Amino acid sequence: MNRYLYDGTPEGLLSAAALIIAEEKEPETITLAERENTLFEEGLFIATDVAAAEAFFQRLRREAPDAASIFYYFVLAEKEGLDTSLLHYLFLALRQGDRVNGHLTHSAVRDVVMVSRKASRELHRFKGMLRFEKLRDGAYLARMEPDCNILQPLAGHFSRRLRAEDWFIYDVRRRIAARWHQGKLQFGSIEQFVAPALSDEEKKVQALWLTFFRTIAIPDRKNPRLQKSNMPMKYWKYLTEKQGV
Amino acid sequence: METLEKLQILSGAARYDASCASSGSRRQDASCGTGNTSQGGICHSWSDDGRCISLLKILLSNDCIYDCAYCVNRATNPVPRASFSAREVVELTMEFYRRNYIEGLFLSSAVMQSPDHTMERMVGVAELLRTEERFGGYIHLKIIPGSSSALVRKAGLYADRISVNIELPSQESLRRLAPQKHKQAILEPMSLIGRQIQESMLERKASRHAPRFAPAGQSTQMIIGASPESDLQILRLSEGLYRKMHLKRVYYSAFVPVNADNRLPVLASPPLLREHRLYQADWLLRFYGFSAGEILSDDAPNLDETFDPKTSWALRHPEFFPVEINRADYGTLLRVPGIGVTSARRIVAARRFSVITPEGLKRIGVVMKRAKYFITCSGRPFEKTGRQPELLRSRLLIGDGAGESIPEPPPKQLSLPGLFA
Repeated sequence: MNRYLYDGTPEGLLSAAALIIAEEKEPETITLAERENTLFEEGLFIATDVAAAEAFFQRLRREAPDAASIFYYFVLAEKEGLDTSLLHYLFLALRQGDRVNGHLTHSAVRDVVMVSRKASRELHRFKGMLRFEKLRDGAYLARMEPDCNILQPLAGHFSRRLRAEDWFIYDVRRRIAARWHQGKLQFGSIEQFVAPALSDEEKKVQALWLTFFRTIAIPDRKNPRLQKSNMPMKYWKYLTEKQGV
Repeated sequence: METLEKLQILSGAARYDASCASSGSRRQDASCGTGNTSQGGICHSWSDDGRCISLLKILLSNDCIYDCAYCVNRATNPVPRASFSAREVVELTMEFYRRNYIEGLFLSSAVMQSPDHTMERMVGVAELLRTEERFGGYIHLKIIPGSSSALVRKAGLYADRISVNIELPSQESLRRLAPQKHKQAILEPMSLIGRQIQESMLERKASRHAPRFAPAGQSTQMIIGASPESDLQILRLSEGLYRKMHLKRVYYSAFVPVNADNRLPVLASPPLLREHRLYQADWLLRFYGFSAGEILSDDAPNLDETFDPKTSWALRHPEFFPVEINRADYGTLLRVPGIGVTSARRIVAARRFSVITPEGLKRIGVVMKRAKYFITCSGRPFEKTGRQPELLRSRLLIGDGAGESIPEPPPKQLSLPGLFA
């Protein structure tokens, strides 16, 4: 049997990788896919074993810390259909250590590193382009619709930066939110989102920002194409300075 | 005057400052303040001219006693004048920072009354932010030429980056266009800052509690196209600033005519392409191991507008090519047009595993558009232009033919009245 299936969760993927890499003689010939439960599906299902997954990830962190971080961002990217590439990548990472990330001529390594880079790039963008609004109760709220599931590391970034404030970050499409309250970070899902009222001064500060945004551009150097390539329009929806454009 | 109106005047007056960097500093302060800095810097937005907005870039005041020919804030210009109070700047910074509009503050100013008077008030703003608001975000302070060394030292203790603008690339131009600014008043604080940064780094090696002095280093800026210096003169100056003064960045700002003055050139439009080529050459100086003398020479002292400076160099040095991808060392790979720091590193990393094939090169992500004329893969060339420089030039210019056209020549500098009289 050279085709395996798993349940589609990150833990399931790690469990499957742990088992295949331990048992199979030539993991590079194995394919791995998410189980779809169709009648004619071929392959051996590997059940999720949380303990095995955790142990495998810890081993990866010890032996190839950069590869562990690439795996983390790869999962955030929520990209489907690359399970086999990821399996081969993990196998190579354990054999070669972090050097594996330089092996970009290998198609599995290239696929995994590129997808992972997409998520970390988007995380970096949102560190800059997330916008908070002050609510009536004094807390701050930011809404976003990123392609990748970056809420967790993004909230981590702001928990170090805006420690003195209470704030929420809400991922509108995934309906999940992070809350920083009295120095503690919590995550949860939101069934029904009701936009809370803004504080009285909020519109005033937004008007100041808009004024700054407009006057800081040099009129003789207007360059909307460059602006859009740096700040794609898909992110404009929640940008204070791009409202009503 | 309302804060909004002041902001309009004082950010409009600050927009010709090119620096926007928020990188180079890692400030992770104690648990109760607001803000930290990120080593790589973070851009928060991009304005309509496509430049990144990272810092709240404003002047403390545009009420200037100087009368520099090129400057919108010169004393004799009939523009509305405004000055912020320290408290206003602090509040704007904090309100913007909490909403994640900015990484921090970039404060510059026109010269009010005297350099020391101005510098003292600017340092006062930074002090208020750091001590009272316990602000841990990024602060960039401009140093006013001629201010006392005590104030320069104080500025470095509060700011992440400090900068003294060199304004014009030669003493002669400075004398003509900014008669109240003197070369010595610019270079002295620069070398003082350089020494302080070195000292602070040594002290911090001995004890991590030693105070930081401008941890993100110093930068400077000069105006391009307002005076007759050649690109070679400019690059030699930059080279000296990087190698001898240890500057982090030199910014080039294409001259935008904002005043009518017979000492200034008349331009059809700002020399943006020249500015772009200078930045490319600047990168060659800092990251690619080039020297100013390699990029330009006294016979050809200006950068080619048709080709980027590295391609120009490659066309002048056919004996250096082709470069063999599987054997050349990192420094040699960096000299290939189209191969940058990222690609060169990836090539070096990937060939440890196996010989790189042409397909492998593409898989790594190397852009072949220009590189393909200058490299071989296991001895095999990609293109058969060989060593015919003319053919190579035209191929580089029009690509492989289909659909691409030669870009229109940029508007030229029209005349420099008075300068060559």
